[in-house]
Amino acid sequence: MTRSWLGRRLLLGVAQSAAVLVLVFVLTEALPGDAAVALAGDNPDPERIALIRSAMELDRPALERFLGWLGELLHGDLGRSLVTGRPVSGYLADGLGVTLLLAALTLALLVPLALWLGMLAARREGSRLDRLISSATLAVYAAPEFALGMLLSTVLALRLGWLPPTAVGGVAADPAVLVLPVLVLLARPVCSISRLVRAGMIEALARPYVAQARRYGVPEWRVRWLHALPNALAPAAQQLARTCDWLLCGVVVVEALFVLPGLGSVLLDAVAARDVPVVQGLAVVFALLTVVLNLGADLVARRFAPRTELTR
Amino acid sequence: MTAPLVQVTDLRVEVGGRTLLDGVHLRAYPGRVTALLGASGCGKTTTGLALLGEYPEGAKVSGTVLTPAGAVGYVPQHPATVLNPARRIGALLGELGPRSAVEDALRRARLDDPAAVLRRFPHQLSGGQQQRVVIAQALLFGARVLVADEPTTGQDPETKRHLVTELAALVRDGLALVLLSHDLDVVRELADEVVMLRGGRVVRAGAWDEVPAVSPRRSAEPTAPVLAARHLTARHPGGALALADVTLTLGAGECLALTGRSGSGKTTLGRCLAGLHSAYQGTVTLDGRPLPRSLRSRSRAELAAVQYVFQDARAAFDERRPVAGQVARAAVRLGGLGPAEADGAAARLLAELGVPTTGRPAELSGGELQRAALARALVANPRVLVCDEITSGLDALSRRLILDHLAGLRDRTGLALLLITHDRAAADILADRTLDLQTVPSGGVSGSLSTAR
Repeated sequence: MTRSWLGRRLLLGVAQSAAVLVLVFVLTEALPGDAAVALAGDNPDPERIALIRSAMELDRPALERFLGWLGELLHGDLGRSLVTGRPVSGYLADGLGVTLLLAALTLALLVPLALWLGMLAARREGSRLDRLISSATLAVYAAPEFALGMLLSTVLALRLGWLPPTAVGGVAADPAVLVLPVLVLLARPVCSISRLVRAGMIEALARPYVAQARRYGVPEWRVRWLHALPNALAPAAQQLARTCDWLLCGVVVVEALFVLPGLGSVLLDAVAARDVPVVQGLAVVFALLTVVLNLGADLVARRFAPRTELTR
Repeated sequence: MTAPLVQVTDLRVEVGGRTLLDGVHLRAYPGRVTALLGASGCGKTTTGLALLGEYPEGAKVSGTVLTPAGAVGYVPQHPATVLNPARRIGALLGELGPRSAVEDALRRARLDDPAAVLRRFPHQLSGGQQQRVVIAQALLFGARVLVADEPTTGQDPETKRHLVTELAALVRDGLALVLLSHDLDVVRELADEVVMLRGGRVVRAGAWDEVPAVSPRRSAEPTAPVLAARHLTARHPGGALALADVTLTLGAGECLALTGRSGSGKTTLGRCLAGLHSAYQGTVTLDGRPLPRSLRSRSRAELAAVQYVFQDARAAFDERRPVAGQVARAAVRLGGLGPAEADGAAARLLAELGVPTTGRPAELSGGELQRAALARALVANPRVLVCDEITSGLDALSRRLILDHLAGLRDRTGLALLLITHDRAAADILADRTLDLQTVPSGGVSGSLSTAR
């Protein structure tokens, strides 16, 4: 039963990956203009564009290029940049360090903070503390990260001068540059996940199995952490997977705001330069990461809600 | 006789001006069974929970409840609800005592392979096993008094017999059992003392007394078939055979009882007919025209024509919306009535069935809710009604109300009834014929029309 569930879930992951590869290619094809136009400079001359196109083999049929790209991909080759000729994997390596550092810091703070806030709010539904936490998390969740980023940066960096406003000097030189970005990255996920934990806890604490545990003298902390919490975790785990995904693949705005050279910035530059192989390579890596993270979340959810069936 | 372990004196419980219990006296002794008997809503569960020191929110309580501190165990009506779905049985029991004590408690509760049970999640156990785990949990806790709320409800006769034997053995070992039940057979078999409740008052207490008899059945005459199923072979979602080649017809005003052990495919057959299970071969026709397999492809008239009443009425209602509104909604969606007409029709039917026309599901007793579920099916004006064990969890009074109402409908309106049941008495009162589903050697089941009266 469990094994067949796992098999079907893995198969679903493979199908999702295949669909994603097709989608990535089609979407980058649909980007307006191509590298030839971008490379041709400010004063494009149609002949020059055509020349660049044929040099880059952009004039070959799309299907042919797709199959070629797919073949290389399966051999682990993401291709080379049209602009600089560097391998795409090099671009990935450039941004990965900063992105991973940001994501790891954020997650390390996010999980305990969100659990703690959610459990705290769920201690007594409707209490003053609960209302305070619930309204505060809703308010912060409603703030888009660019607004929050600019607000924090204005107050904490520019007015008070406590923290550096951007990471222009480099992360290694002054780790304090990470504080503001991590705060901004934390803000919304902490709110969404703690709210899910709170709702899940309140629901679980009202269940007969919790009443039975209390009846039989199980200590209150065990009732909360070992009986109620596991039942509150499944939705939170799914949200955490989406957050991981976002942290690893999509913090373009925050990176731009604080001038952090992460994967988001690499992607942004590549899009601006119409550097199709780099964009495709990053998109593929991001998409596969998403598939894998969701698979992980489903496994976690399955452990804590073992009756879950796959939705078709 | 030894001193009582439980002594309840003049217990009154009042919630918001409504009296739930009005001067209840009760005693339980080690090695003896005290049964609390009465219709649903009579205060059995309130009394049972009072023994655990639990009362409804905002309750005003007077009187005394003396119980051995920290030694009262509880087995609720639906044991699955007190088993944490996210924890293995081993983790659940492990925190109440050492491994050896856990295994000992499981064996005392007649679970023969403790190691295998401990590795499982609750949903991987059968209903009977879940119940035994909950009993083992109480034993492990050191319960000297066990409050069992409707322990035999919804179980097939064989499982029920096992349970009665097991409970009797525990009582012989010195446990005081407080049995909340409306299952007269079980009470007769187990109880040393019976306390009968009505409206929160003790109406009779003492040894076992006479049982009310059931109403007689009418005679039937054959009519043209409304619903027919030919050569139905159905599979479970996993691919296992659930039904093998079953054929049946159902005429207007006719009642067919569908019997057989748990797992014989009774419910699957009902679900195939109602469009809730589409993985089958064979045909189902309504008035000679084929019925689409799944609900989605059935027209509104076809949906209204075949209605289904589920065993668990509480799960069949949205707990957040008033019951009457949910019944009226069915009249709008399936009966094509306007909102005002639908409200009227729903209120009329609910009143006919003696169900309060205000309140959410939580405010209704199990019996009232099952009658409301019946009202919701009837408000669509069905031709065929599939009733899946709808009386099995009910007290004698609710059961009687439902059976009488169904008999009246069948005679007056020509409603065709498919009664899935292992309640022999219900089948005897209502059914013209009985289809007994038998397990066949291949692992599937086939049907044989055993009696045509």
